[in-house]
Amino acid sequence: MSSEIEITENMKKLVIARIEARLPSNIKLSIGGTGSMSKEEMIEHVKVEDEQGKQIIMMHINFIKAITSGELIKELNKC
Amino acid sequence: MQKGLIITCPEYDDATAYLKFYSKEIIDEALSKLLKVKSVEDKELNEKDFSQILNKIDYKLVVLNGHGSSNAIWGYKDNYIIKLGKNDSLLKERIVYARSCNAGELLGLKCMEGTKDGCFIGYNLPFIFYMDARWTTKPSNDNVAKIFLEPSNQIPISILKGHQASDAHEKAKEHMLKNMKKIVAGPQNDESTLYLEALWNNYLGQVIHGKKEARL
Repeated sequence: MSSEIEITENMKKLVIARIEARLPSNIKLSIGGTGSMSKEEMIEHVKVEDEQGKQIIMMHINFIKAITSGELIKELNKC
Repeated sequence: MQKGLIITCPEYDDATAYLKFYSKEIIDEALSKLLKVKSVEDKELNEKDFSQILNKIDYKLVVLNGHGSSNAIWGYKDNYIIKLGKNDSLLKERIVYARSCNAGELLGLKCMEGTKDGCFIGYNLPFIFYMDARWTTKPSNDNVAKIFLEPSNQIPISILKGHQASDAHEKAKEHMLKNMKKIVAGPQNDESTLYLEALWNNYLGQVIHGKKEARL
């Protein structure tokens, strides 16, 4: 399920704003079961758009798409 | 194939420590069913040793914790343990759960091509979880990590309980949906939507390949 979506500067700004506003400083993220990253490290990965940064961006974008398409609600109503 | 469990338990940072902690529940379930268990730890988590273990021990269920890509799964640090085209055939007739990024995309698909009784459950997206840094030395108290790791544990535990692979796959997805519903219905903290995003990512990315009716 590799993404073919082009990552724009606006997408990066949106993701960074969401992380800055919503993630408490005591919460860390692990991608792939190795290592963990702080809020500041997440933002840095997004800024430089490395592999982990792209994964964070796509997680946010996929979620927003699921909300706007109604897919998330449809799945939640299954249980 | 014997009824038994091979599980990789690397531990070299806080994330792998969490996966190792959650793996204990899987091992305990296997032992409670009087099944044989081979827990593979750091020094054996390289391609040579792990291939030897798979060649020597024919336990049906294999649980892989660690870093992954579309064509490989790693063990201890930079040592891969399974690579597409090199030793992936060692998984072919087993039931495999890979708690790793992206391995469901290509590796899981290819290693189950032509299988009779094997099945691969994994993710074609990164496997993601949040943790509370205040509890990294005591993962049992971390209610944030629990949101993500309990549903993933349900896959091997359901299989150990005798359910078929597709049921284990579906139960874990239902568990993720329930956790998402709890977040939606519960008190809304700033971080709630970030947890929803990560759960949705794991939900969306979880895939099953091979014989879906496979069971221990």
